[in-house]
Parts: sequence; structure tokens; C-alpha cells
Amino acid sequence: MGATKADLLRGTLDMLILKTLALEPLHGLGISRRIDQVTEGVFQVKPGSLFPALHRLEERGWIEGDWGESENNRRAKYYQLTRAGRHRLGEEKENWTQVVLAITKLLEAS
Amino acid sequence: MPALSWLRSTFQSLTKQEHLDRDLDEELQAYLDLLVDEKVQQGMSPDAALRQARIELGGTEQVKERVRESRAGAALDTLVRDASLAFRTLRKNPGFTVVAILVLALGIGATTALFSTVSAALLTQIPFPDPDRLVAGFKTYAGVRAGPVSRVDYYDYRELSGSFEHLAAMADITMEQTLTGDGQAEIVESGFVTWNLFPALGVAPVVGRPFMEDEEKGGAGVALISHEFWQGRLGGAESVVGGTLRLDGEPTTIIGVMPEGFQVLLDVDLWRLVDREGPFDIQRDSHSHFLVGRLGPGVSVQQAQQEVDAISRSLEELYPVSNEDKGLALTGLHDAMVAKVRLSLLMLMSTGVLVLLIASSNVAGLLLARGHRRLPEVATRIALGAPRWRLIRQLLTESVIVSLAAGVAGIGVAFGFQRFLLRALPIGELGIGSASIDQGALLFALLLSIATGVVVGVIPALRATAVDPTLYLKTGRQLSQDVRSSRLWGGLVIVQVAVSTLLLVGSALLISNLVKLVTTDLGFESANLLTGSVSIPESKYPTHAERNQFFSSLLEQIEAVPGVESASMVNKLPILSPWQNWALWPAGQERPEHGNLQSPMARWVPPGYFRTMEMPLLQGRDIAEADDRDSQRVLVITETVAQRLFPDRSPIGEAVIVGSTEWPPHEIIGVVADARVNQVFLGPDPAMYMAAYQLGPRQMQLAVRTTGNPLLLEEPISRIVREMDDDVLFAEPATLQSIVDHSMAGFSVVTLSSGVFSGVALILAAIGLYGLLAHAVNQRLNEIGIRLAMGATRGNLLRMVLKRGLILVGFGLLLGAVGALMVTLALERMPFEAQTVSATSYLGAFLVLALVAAFACFLPAWRATRVSPIDVLRQE
Repeated sequence: MGATKADLLRGTLDMLILKTLALEPLHGLGISRRIDQVTEGVFQVKPGSLFPALHRLEERGWIEGDWGESENNRRAKYYQLTRAGRHRLGEEKENWTQVVLAITKLLEAS
Repeated sequence: MPALSWLRSTFQSLTKQEHLDRDLDEELQAYLDLLVDEKVQQGMSPDAALRQARIELGGTEQVKERVRESRAGAALDTLVRDASLAFRTLRKNPGFTVVAILVLALGIGATTALFSTVSAALLTQIPFPDPDRLVAGFKTYAGVRAGPVSRVDYYDYRELSGSFEHLAAMADITMEQTLTGDGQAEIVESGFVTWNLFPALGVAPVVGRPFMEDEEKGGAGVALISHEFWQGRLGGAESVVGGTLRLDGEPTTIIGVMPEGFQVLLDVDLWRLVDREGPFDIQRDSHSHFLVGRLGPGVSVQQAQQEVDAISRSLEELYPVSNEDKGLALTGLHDAMVAKVRLSLLMLMSTGVLVLLIASSNVAGLLLARGHRRLPEVATRIALGAPRWRLIRQLLTESVIVSLAAGVAGIGVAFGFQRFLLRALPIGELGIGSASIDQGALLFALLLSIATGVVVGVIPALRATAVDPTLYLKTGRQLSQDVRSSRLWGGLVIVQVAVSTLLLVGSALLISNLVKLVTTDLGFESANLLTGSVSIPESKYPTHAERNQFFSSLLEQIEAVPGVESASMVNKLPILSPWQNWALWPAGQERPEHGNLQSPMARWVPPGYFRTMEMPLLQGRDIAEADDRDSQRVLVITETVAQRLFPDRSPIGEAVIVGSTEWPPHEIIGVVADARVNQVFLGPDPAMYMAAYQLGPRQMQLAVRTTGNPLLLEEPISRIVREMDDDVLFAEPATLQSIVDHSMAGFSVVTLSSGVFSGVALILAAIGLYGLLAHAVNQRLNEIGIRLAMGATRGNLLRMVLKRGLILVGFGLLLGAVGALMVTLALERMPFEAQTVSATSYLGAFLVLALVAAFACFLPAWRATRVSPIDVLRQE
């Protein structure tokens, strides 16, 4: 259990989910697979962290879940970004860029 | 996140709990289905795919748990779910639940009731502004506190000291006066104060004006009345102020009304001024006033004390005869008021806490046993992935729910305890409001309950969840666990036995002291004696002869009433009206210095008083009718006084000086046996008896010896008094027995409470012991069965179980005995003749405990011998 290759900070996971949903609505497994695929397996999101994160985001009104049909005719809950979520993603991205810039500077200073 | 949205989410997550849970279930199922589909597409067989998918998903329950925790209001939600689970579990074990609640309720209730009393008496501030600046002053001899202060010394302290904003005094006794005028004559209680007492306390009249400084000289016939007296007897009209009351026939002007509920030190109906020029207590060795001072701003008690000490030293130089070694000790007013009850209260409080300790360790034992029985449940839950802290929280929720229920029941216990026992504690007499179970006490009970629940539950919860699920589920046993839990439980039982031993020894000591007090020979017979006081107005009976005539005719008429054996009177009845000691020394000698001066209690009686009180006359004769105003003054002294004054010869016929050389010398005519005059607790007091008819007093206390119930004579005697004079009353009738009992009330309450507590403690310890051994026998049924099958005799088994129990009891007794010795040291400081180390009390307590403990051990042991080896081994 808990074999994520990088220690996912809670906020980072939230950002990844928001980013993933910014493209199109997805169900839980879809989100998990998309993150795995895009990050080339660096981040593997397990259900134990995925579902709490989804519920947290939904509670805050950043995403919305609706039951729909999957490609192979399964009933699944699809999540999509709300307007507030899109705004939030923007903020998170900005923060992230600043943090990355700062850390990079620090690491490159010799 | 905005507060509103958080609130909404919390609300939703609480209300829509079930809906959300169902939704989550479906979502996880859908996730699993999609995962299986994915694996099947990758070429797995459906079975293998499902298996693989389940592994990847992890425990569904854990995922759900984590989602729930991430929701808003999760903590509250978990609490609600824990609580409802706890309720269900507790309902399923009504036996455990009821016993645990009752046991804890006793402990919490007792502690709460005592807390309310302690807080009323010791923690609540006295109701005056800036109470920290108020001090009380007591006379000391050679540094030892010795009661009230001389009025003459007081005026010197007041005039010479600069530390006080006001230094005031109040006479240590009240005076019953007969109020006459419109309507029925009535007895009122007057207190005597200096003009500045109320300004010192910071209290002013609500109607009218305060006392003035110049009114002290001559005592101007003015009075301030209490609000209650104003509203009750006087009708509450403002026009009353400025009016006149006739007290014992003397006109007294009402100048004002004090605030509602105001009383200080002694409860009275009205306050009058101490007459600075009055004829009473004019000697420096006549001590009859309490001092109350308000320190000046910024002056500490120590600073004031230093100044007062300097004044005491200069008084000592000026008046070496009366003031040698004499001083004035200042303490906080509140401390001074509660000093007498502080130790008793603290002792009771610690007894209550000890009972709570026993109750808690008892319930902790029960929880340990329950933890053992719940091992399968706990092991299964841990195996399914429940985190340990979740289980601990669950178990703690259970114990806190039990203790909260116990807290509610305990409030009932507290009310009962308060009503039937503590109310009798003599706290009201100190001028402090009596205790009640108020908000503070309820809050205390609540906090105490929660704390108890956590303390009681935490170790059993830790033990119960320290289980290795793999091992347990494989073997169905957890041996090391069992051994550790039962050792812990054994320790708890030792604590219970030890604490109950301590309580038992303590209350055995108190009880034996009470028995001793009750059976003490007071020196007079208190049974079948009716008392009451009679005072006649001096204006109506101005001469000695008229007053003597009134009282002797009164006694004659009372003696004629059927059921009266004899009737007599005294200026101050024993126990009811203590103190008033006067100097006494042989005539023709210089007045001895303070250390060698005899000063027995001064009493005056008519002929026949000793016969009525059943005090044996040892030498000489009783006061006779012939000892009147025109003949030689006579005096009867007690045994001890006789021995001290005339160690080498008979005192009969000796001439002595009473009080002052200005008075005619008295001839000693008789010696009467020692008796207790002031208190039941201390030994007999030195006393002397003058002839009442040689003094012509106007106020006396009656003592009427009856053949039957004394109270039946209250009505006839009242009638006789009223018929003799409409303005005179037979006031405050009471049996002497009730007065003696009342004086011991505080001690009786402490004794009774500690008796009740130790009884409860004993029962709890027995339950604990029994529970432990019964559990142990249950655990070892297999072993016992095998032993029996292998040929062990029932005697062997009985010994085996008994041995374990008796070892625990032995340890407990030993520890308890050590504790008891320490407690008796505290008891030695109790303000009464306490016999602290008595072998019988220890032995008695040990015996009672050993018997009860043996019984508690024997039951499970006997059950062990009833085990049928065949049944047990078949079950295996």
C-alpha cells in the first residue's frame, strides 16, 4: 500500500486532479489513469487518496460529480471543473510556478 | 473556506450522511467494475481480474473511512457514530453498564456534594467590597491564639495604630432582649458593635443614617435594624426609622435599616453601640470582643501586624499584670471565619476523592475484563485495517459515556448527600451562606465525569487494543495479554483494598471518638431537662428585691406543674452559653499575675441548682435561702478550682476576691464536682457559682428537670411566665440534650459521612475483588477442568483461588495500614479530644475488611470447585 513514487503533498494532488479535469470530465479511475499516463508513472494515485481528495474538492465547490455512462456502458460518477475550480486551478498553477522557480534558483545557486 | 460554506457542508454532511455513504458505496463499486473491465480487456480471466482489482482498490472500508474523515465536520460525525456504537454496545451489556454507572455515580456524587460545600465555605469570597483588605484580630498569649480581645485593649489599638482605615469591634455574644410595645412581647437578638464596624466592612444602611463616632460615648440609645427584622416584625415602612423600640423596657431609637441579607459574625435582629463608658468589661483581662479591621490602601497584613506587635509590647510595659505575654494576631477575615471548619472540610473532601479513586479503579477493572472478552471483536477489526487509535477512541467514548451517565446519576447522589448530611455542618453559623448544588457544582460534576471517563478508560483501552491479530485469530488465545491485564487488575484491587482499609480505620477512629463523646460524663445530666431564657425589664422591676421575687415565684410555680421534678436557673447554661471567666484569688493577697491567676467561669444560681443539674456537692453546703442580699456573699467552687487555690487545706470558710477588690469578698461554702461548662469536646472547665439572689439579676436561663418528655412542659411554662407579666417571655425553649447534640453536629456529620464513605468503599472493594477472582476462574476453566481430571482435589482448587485473592488483600491491608497511620497524624490536628492511635479501631477495621474480603474471595473459589471437568473439556 501507499506505493506512490513521489510523496504527494495533499495540495499537489488537488492541483493534479483539477488540472486533469480541466480538459474533460472524468470518472475516478479515469482521473487516476490519466495522471499515471501523463506523468509517465511517476504519480500513481491510489483510491485511498483519490476519493478523499475528490470529496474534499467537491465539498469546496471546485468540482461537481454526476452519474453518467462510461465508454463501455458502465454507470460511473463523472467529475467536472466548476467555475470556482477553474479559478482555483489558476491560483494553484501560479503558486506552483513560483515555488518551482524559487527552489530551482536555490538548487542552482552554488 | 468561508465559514458559511463550511457550516453548510458540515450541516449537509451530518444530515445527508446516509445519502453520501450510499453514493460513495456505488462510486467505489463502479470504480471496481471499471477496473475489472480494464483488466479483462488486458486479457485476464474475469476471476483473476476481480481478485487483482480488489487488491488494487485496497480495503473498501478503509477508503470509505478516509473519505469520511476528509469531510467537513468529520470529527463531530465520528463522535456521533462512536457514541451510537457505544450506546448499542452498552445496551447489550446492561449488567456491566448499570454496575459501572452506579459505582461511579457514588464517587462523583460524593465528590460533587463535598465540592459545593468546600467552595461555599472556603472558596467563595465574603460579600464585602475589597474583601482582601479585611482582617480579623484575636488575642494571643505567648503567641498562641486565645479568643476574643479586651475592650480596653481594643481602644488602645484603635487609637495608636495607623495601619487601618478602620479598626472596629463587635461583642462576642449577642443579647436577647424583650421587645414590648404594640402587640405581643417578643424576644429580639441584639449585637453590640463599635460605630465604625459597618464603615470598615464597607456597608451602609439602605434607609436612615449610620452610627456616628460621638454616639459611642454613653452608647446613645440608638439602633440599626436588620432588613429582615424591618420587613418582618416592623412591617417595612420607612416611617419606622426615627421611631422608638422598647427593649427590656428601655427606649431605643431606630436610626436606620441595613441592606437585605446583611449579617456579620453573629446573626442578630438589631445592632446597638458598645457603650464606651459602660460598666461592662472594663478590665483589661476581661476579653469579649471580636476585632474586624479594614487595612489602609497599600498596607499589607504583615505591616499591620508589625505595628500592632509594637503596640502590644508597649501595653505590656504599661500594664504588666494584665497584659504580660498578650498580643493581637491579625488574619484575613475570611480565613478567620472558616478556620474552625477548614480541616473537617478538607478531610471530608479527601475522603470523597478516595471513594472516587476506589470507584474509578473498580470500573477500570471491569473495563479490563470487558476488554478481554472483546478481544475477538478488536482483533477482527484490526485485521480488517482499523487503525489502533480509532479503536482506542471508540473504547474511550464508551467509558466517557458511562462516566457521563454516572455524572448525571451522581448529581442525584450529591443532592441527597447535601440534603441529609452536609446541611448539618455548622457552616451557616459562621455567617457564610450555606452550600447548594449550584451551576459551579454542576460544571464541576461534568468536568469530573469526563476526566473520570478518560482516566478510567485509557489503560483498559490501550491494553484491549494491544493485540496481535494474526496470532490471536490463528490460536484464539492471547496469553501474554491475559497475564498482563490481570496483573494490572490485581494492582487495581490492591489499591481498592488499601484505600478502603485507610477509610475504615479513619472512620473507626472517628466513630470511637464520637461514641466516647456521646458517652462522656458531662458532669451534669442532660436528659429530661428543659431550658429557656427569661429576662425582665429593669424599668418595671427596678430593685433587687422585686427581681428576686419575680424569679423565685416563677420557679415555685413551675415546680408545682405536674411532670416537673425540680426547677432552677443560672445566668449561663452549660454548653449553650459558654465563657465569661472572672478572676478569683484568696482575700488578703495581692492579685496574682496573669500566669498564676485563676479565672473560673462565673455563674450565679439560686439554691437547688446543683440538685436540678445532678451535679454532686463534694464538700460544704449548697447556696441557701438564707444567703440573701444582707448576709455574707457566698461562693461554691468546683473541685479543680479548690485544688488550685487551696492545694493544702479545705477551702470551706476561706474568703476570696471575685473579679475586683471593689466588690465585697466572698466566703467559700461548698465544693461541687467538675463539669463541662463551655464545650463538650474539651475537658471540664473551672467554674464558680455565686448566689443569684445576692446579685439580683434581671436575665436568667431556666433549667427544668422533668419526669417525662421535657418539650411537653414548654406550653405550661410559657403560660406561667405570660400570666406573671405580659411583657415577659419564656424564650428559646429547648432541651439541654438537643443543645448538647447540636454542639456536636459538625463532628457527628464528619463522622457519619466518613462512616458512609468507608461503607461504600468497603462494598466497592469487595465487588472489585470478587470480579477479579470470578474472571480469573472463568479464564482458567480449562486448566481447572484438566487439574480435576488429573486428580486434583476440590480442596486444592479452593486453596489455589483463595491464595491469589488473599495475597492481594494482604498487600492492600498492609498499604492501607501505612496510609492510616499517616491519616491519624492529620486527625491529631482536629479541634477535639481525638484519640488517634487506638488498637481496637485498627483491629476492628482490619477484621471487617478481612471478613468481607474473604467472602468476596470464597464465592469464586467455591465456584471453581463446582466445575465439571467433563463439561469443560468437552467444550474445548
